[in-house]
This record gives sequence, C-alpha cells and structure tokens, in this order.
Amino acid sequence: MSLPSLSSREYLERLPGTTFRRLYQQPSTALAIFRRMLPHLAKTFAMALLYMTKPLPLADLDLWVRPGSKRQRDEALSLLNRLHMVTITAPSRDDPQAVSLTKAFSSSLRLALTGGGDHQSFGVPANDLETANVDVQFLDDFARAQWEGILHYIVSNVGDGMRQAGEGPTAGVKQLLEAGHMVTRQKRSGGGITQAGFSFLLQEVNAQVWTLLLLWIENAEKMGMDSVEVLSFLFMLGSLELGRAYSTTILTASQKEMLTHLVDFGLAYIPPSTPNQFFPTRLATTLTSDASALRSVAAGFDNALSAGAGTAGFIIIETNYRLYAYTSSPLQIAVLSLFTKLTTRYPNMVSGRITRESIYRAISHGITSEQVISYLSTHAHPQLLKVATAKGAPVLPPTVVDQIRLWQIENERMKATPGFLFKDFESQKEYDGCVKYADEIGVLVWKNDGKRMFFVNRMEQLRDYIKSRKVK
Amino acid sequence: MDSVDATEHYDTTIQGVPPSLLVIVLDTNPHAWALLSPTLPLSKAIANILVFINAHLAANHANQVAVVASHCHRAVWLYPRAPSSSEDVEMTDQTPPDLNDANKYRPFALIEDSLLASLRDLIATTTEDDIATTNTTQMAGALTLALSYINRATVNFSDADSSSKTASTAIENPENTSSLQSRILVVSVSGDLAHQYIPIMNTTFAAQRLRVPIDILKLAGDTVFLQQASDTTKGIYMQLSNPQGLLQYLMMAFLPDQTSRKHLVPPTQQVVDFRAACFCHRRVVDVGFVCSICLSIFCSPPEGAICLTCSTHLALGDYGAKPAVVARKKKKKRRINGAMETPSGSATPAPVE
Repeated sequence: MSLPSLSSREYLERLPGTTFRRLYQQPSTALAIFRRMLPHLAKTFAMALLYMTKPLPLADLDLWVRPGSKRQRDEALSLLNRLHMVTITAPSRDDPQAVSLTKAFSSSLRLALTGGGDHQSFGVPANDLETANVDVQFLDDFARAQWEGILHYIVSNVGDGMRQAGEGPTAGVKQLLEAGHMVTRQKRSGGGITQAGFSFLLQEVNAQVWTLLLLWIENAEKMGMDSVEVLSFLFMLGSLELGRAYSTTILTASQKEMLTHLVDFGLAYIPPSTPNQFFPTRLATTLTSDASALRSVAAGFDNALSAGAGTAGFIIIETNYRLYAYTSSPLQIAVLSLFTKLTTRYPNMVSGRITRESIYRAISHGITSEQVISYLSTHAHPQLLKVATAKGAPVLPPTVVDQIRLWQIENERMKATPGFLFKDFESQKEYDGCVKYADEIGVLVWKNDGKRMFFVNRMEQLRDYIKSRKVK
Repeated sequence: MDSVDATEHYDTTIQGVPPSLLVIVLDTNPHAWALLSPTLPLSKAIANILVFINAHLAANHANQVAVVASHCHRAVWLYPRAPSSSEDVEMTDQTPPDLNDANKYRPFALIEDSLLASLRDLIATTTEDDIATTNTTQMAGALTLALSYINRATVNFSDADSSSKTASTAIENPENTSSLQSRILVVSVSGDLAHQYIPIMNTTFAAQRLRVPIDILKLAGDTVFLQQASDTTKGIYMQLSNPQGLLQYLMMAFLPDQTSRKHLVPPTQQVVDFRAACFCHRRVVDVGFVCSICLSIFCSPPEGAICLTCSTHLALGDYGAKPAVVARKKKKKRRINGAMETPSGSATPAPVE
C-alpha cells in the first residue's frame, strides 16, 4: 500500500463505530473512503457484495479466491471490517459465517453509484457567473504559493540560511504546526524543527496535506467542532471538480469556519468579490485519489510544487552514492541537505554524496532510513524509473539502499513494536493453529516454538479466531 | 537483523494499482433486444450497465471507460462521443444540459448524460430500412474500434506517464505493471455471427497479442466465435440463464480487473466450441476442406478445385462431394479405389504439382 493512505487510514480506524455510521450517511464520503482507503481486492469484494441480497457465506468467498491469495483475502476482509464496511456474523454451530456490507455503507455507496436521493453531498455548484480571473492555472499558483509558504516555514527553522523572504503562513497555521510538534519555538541546537516535522517534509504532497488536515481535525475536536462534519466536508472536497465555483450556502456553520482554514492551507480559494463561492484547488480535488493516479493522470501535484522542474521526479542516485538533483527550488535543496552532503550547485542542479556522516546527521535529527529511502524513491528521476522498469530492477541501487539501512542500524539495535504476547497454550496443536492463523492474516511479529509463545501487533481478529476455536 | 537484507523491500517501489481501461461493446441489435424485452428491456440493461461503469470508475481515480455500440449496420461510439465534423477537430465535451445536480458525482453524471444522448441519437437515426435489411450486428467493426481505442489510450498513457519512454515498449510489454490495463467487455444479444468470422478472429488474435482480455456477457443467443475470442484472450465467457440478475453478474464476475483477477478464481466455460466458419458460404462447419497453401476453409470443394482465396490449383484426389467423416470400414474401401495412400491426408486437398 502506498504511504499516504496510511496516516489517514490509521486515523479513521481509531474512530468509533458510531462515527462511521454517521460518516457513511453521506454518499460522497462512502465513495471517497471506498476509493481512497481500500486495497484493490477489498474494493472488488465490496463491489461484489454491494448488490447481493443475502449475506455471502465465507466458505463461498473462499471458493472465489485463489488458494494462493488467502493472505490478501484475509487482509482485505480484516480492513473492511476495521473500517466498519462489512459485518461478519459470529461463528456458531448452526450457521456458517457469512459476510455482508453494513447497511449505512451499502445504501450510501449505491446512492453514489446510481445518483439520486437528496443528500447534496457532491457539492452545489454556484450558478452565478464565474469570475473571469479564476482559472485552473490561477488556482494551481495559489495552492502552490500557500503550501510552499507552509513548507518554507518549517524548513526555514533548520538554520541553513535558507530562510525565504516570503510572508509565510498565517498565525493559525503556525500555531497548528507547533501544536502538532512539527516545529518548536525553543531554538535549541537542532533548530526549531522536530522529528515529526522532518518526516512531514519527506512525505509526498498528498500525504502532507492529509497529515496537516488530520492535525487540524484533532485540534478542531478540542475546539468543539464535530469531526464527522469536518471529515465529510473533506471527502466532499475530494469529489469536486477543479476550476468550478461551488456555493457555500448549504454548508454548516462549522464547515464554513473550516473553509477559512482551508484557504490558509491552499486547499480552497474564495474570490474576494463573491464570498459565498469557493473554488477547490488541486490539493483538495486530489485528496481522495491514490498515489498512482496522482503520478500519472491527475498530473501529480509534485508537478505543480517543484517549481520549474517539468517532471515529478528529479533525483538521480548512482551506485557510488553520488546524488544529482535537477532542481532549483530552495525547498527541495533544503530537504536534500538534511541527509546529503551537497557539494556543488548549478543553476538547475545540485550534486552531492550520501555519506555515513550525512546519514548520521539525519538520524540524529530523528529521520529514519526508511524515510530517506522513501523520499529518494518517490522523487526518483524518470530516467531511473525507466531503467528500472526496463530491467525489472529496483528503482534505487540496492547497495545504496542497504547501506543507508545499515548505517542506521549501527546505532539502533533495538526496535519497539507495540502489540500483544500470546502464551500458555494448552496444547501444541492449539499453538500451531493460532500461529498459522496469525501469520496468514499478517499480524505475526515474532514466535518461539519451543516456549509456545508468539507476539502479534494486532489482536482483534485473532481473538475472534481463538473464541471460534473454543466454540468448536 | 533480518530486516536488513530482506530483499522483498526492493519490491516496495511498485505502489498502488495500475489504472484500467474498460471498453464496453454493447450489442444494440434491435431484433435481438425486441426478443429479449419481456425479460430484460434495453432501458433496464442500460441502467444496469451504467451502474457497472460507475462502479468501475469508483474503484480508481484514473480508471477510464469507453462504450461502443455494435448496431445493425454500423459500429458507433457512445462514449466518448465521436468528433462531430472532421477528424482533426479536438473532441469537445460540450454538454450544455444542466449537470449541476449535487446529488450525483459529476464524472458519473457526465458519462451517463453523454452515453444516453448518443444512444438516443443512434436509435433516432436508425431507419426502418436498416432494421428490415439485416438481423445481425456489426460486432467485428465494434471490436476493431475498441482495440484501436485501447491502442491509442495505451500510447497516450505511457506518454503522459513518462515522456522518455517510447510508446512501442508500452504496447509490447503490457505485463509491465505501471502501464494501463485494458480489457473489453462484450454485452452480446445476437446469435449467428458466421458472416463475420474472419474479421472477428483477426481482432481476437490482435487482442491476444496486446494481451487484452475479451470478456463476453451473453444475454441471449449463442455465437461460436465470441466463445473462441474469450477463450483465446483468457477472458471470461458467461451465458446468463436469467438476465434479470444482470447487475449482480456484472459486479461479481466482470468488475474485477486484471490486477484482482490474479487473486480470484474466474468463472470458466467448460466446453469451448472451436468450430470454424467456411470462407465460401459462411457456414459453421464441423469438418471442412482446408486449402493447403493459405489454410482457407471450405464447406465443400470449391469450383474447379481452385482455392477461392489464393487461387491455387488444388488436387482433390478422387474426392467426392461428401467430406471425410467416414467409418473405419469405409475408409479401407476408399483406399482401394483412391490414389491417395495416407488416410489422414485424404481430407486435405493437395496443390497440383
């Protein structure tokens, strides 16, 4: 799964079931969560179940899935379950387990597919004449200016003399960044930027937007705003069309208030002449599309952000750890300098090396090797991608990737995984069954066959499984 | 420590799922739909297909769809609509009607509106003469349109994806995970397509080469060649016993794209009818005569033993009008009379000298 959906999905998974029921009231939300949060196989399952009149017995579902793909099946089902999209009947002696979509979700998704109803959740377009100066180009520029302002504000605290003369984000955004521990006011040796800030910088734009929005939502909850309203508004934004004006008349009060914040983030634009209209920008309309769509069809927002560079990727890295980045954006250079020893700067390119010291420095700032690697691979130059697809090889040179990991591990010998330990099994058979199941659903972290103990990072499904064994 | 050299981490570069293009070939043969109307009227079928299209588009932001109608005399684009005047004109998505319905996702509304409008156009322009003169459908033409559209979409996609990658590599390596995954779904209601045997088989082989599966959803009638098309291209063939449940069949069997089909057991047809049609009378034959030079098939030996396709003079031996479905005993008798010595070769006319 791609990185960006993780943070938002984790947030959603934490929500209680009642919140989901209310979220799924809106067809646009149901559609957006369906499109954005599910792995491919889960979407297939959901669609197959959508118009089924009776619950589908799990045994039948197993027949449909190839035996080799049991793991994917279990992952898909478990995620559907966690997002409260399906209900699986409890195992019992009389009835076999069956799966069906939850009522709220299925009726909303059907409404989304067929149209109709009176939910107005796909945005009411404004019928007034559109203001002439608002075109797609203008919106892109506006969104870029706002978003880069925020990023510059975070980066400029690194203290590399990269401070920009721009006006920077509004006070509200600054407060938000501090509340989210992205930056701190205390200027200590490491500068004002924190580990969270670094990992934020290294993400794709789409993931950054989500991170910031989730942060904002958490804050909004404290201010007494309803997270359901806020979330449905976000998901609605994702279904709007770029370059069209929408009316603010049907929005609730808190959604209207939210809109002003979204303008600060660059997600929406309100023309000064007509304050009851708003234009979603590309940042907003791509909220619910996934990574592959962003890179190709929706003209990846990186395009818009990496000013000047025509393509999404700009980094070439060689097996001898040399790095060439075709960029002139101070922001990108500042990010690169976090983990690279930059040596030369040309008008359209910087070059440098990845060294042990530079990676150490990054790690001491709290950046992990995975973050560095994922940053490099998401911003890899098309040439690297082309060679990689032609040869069927990985995008980044394996030597470099391994070495970056090894440099990190030199310092970090221990890794913590929160989870649950299962022990004291009655019989070897019971132990074997549970371990096998845990492995199949992909939650097994560690096991010791001799002591009959194993460790998992998620236990809801396993608990049900053990219960169902007890029943038998 | 074992996370260090875990080589599966190299695979993490493949992110997400490649977008897929679904081309629907809708058989709009008026005769067949008239027969089908008591169980499943066209309007209802269209409504079901629209929901199916929306479901396909809902699965991924980058998914695309195209619909071709295979009508009685011609194949027509339903979506995207064909350019109105000359072919140089850029396609215009001029949809003046009011689409400002906030209760419908706008892309869905656009497609529905355009598809219905062009379908109405198609029906309005169909004259009684058109219907009276034929009772079949231009399936071969529609499939050809679909394949050329897929070709263009693939080239466009790989261009947009990375300008440096040449289009030809994208077409030759459709297994390439990042390229557009295309498939064709034929919603077929007509029966006999024997007169289009050659073009249909040609498109089938072209699709096989492009690795485009052709899925067949058979609402009524039965055609040998569409069965063969889906079998050759590893598509899904399904004959619906009760067409009322069309939507559920669509959602369950035909919605999964190539990526999810890797994980699913596809519905299969047990028996594939591999019969061919003869080139002379377009009859479906069990046993026929094959030109040994150009492999043309004939239901009876052609006039004067000259192949109708390549004009080669063929030696028929002393072959009678009856094809060689003969019992073993009879064969022995024939061999005594006949000049041909090999019993198996006797059915194939050999070229003269």
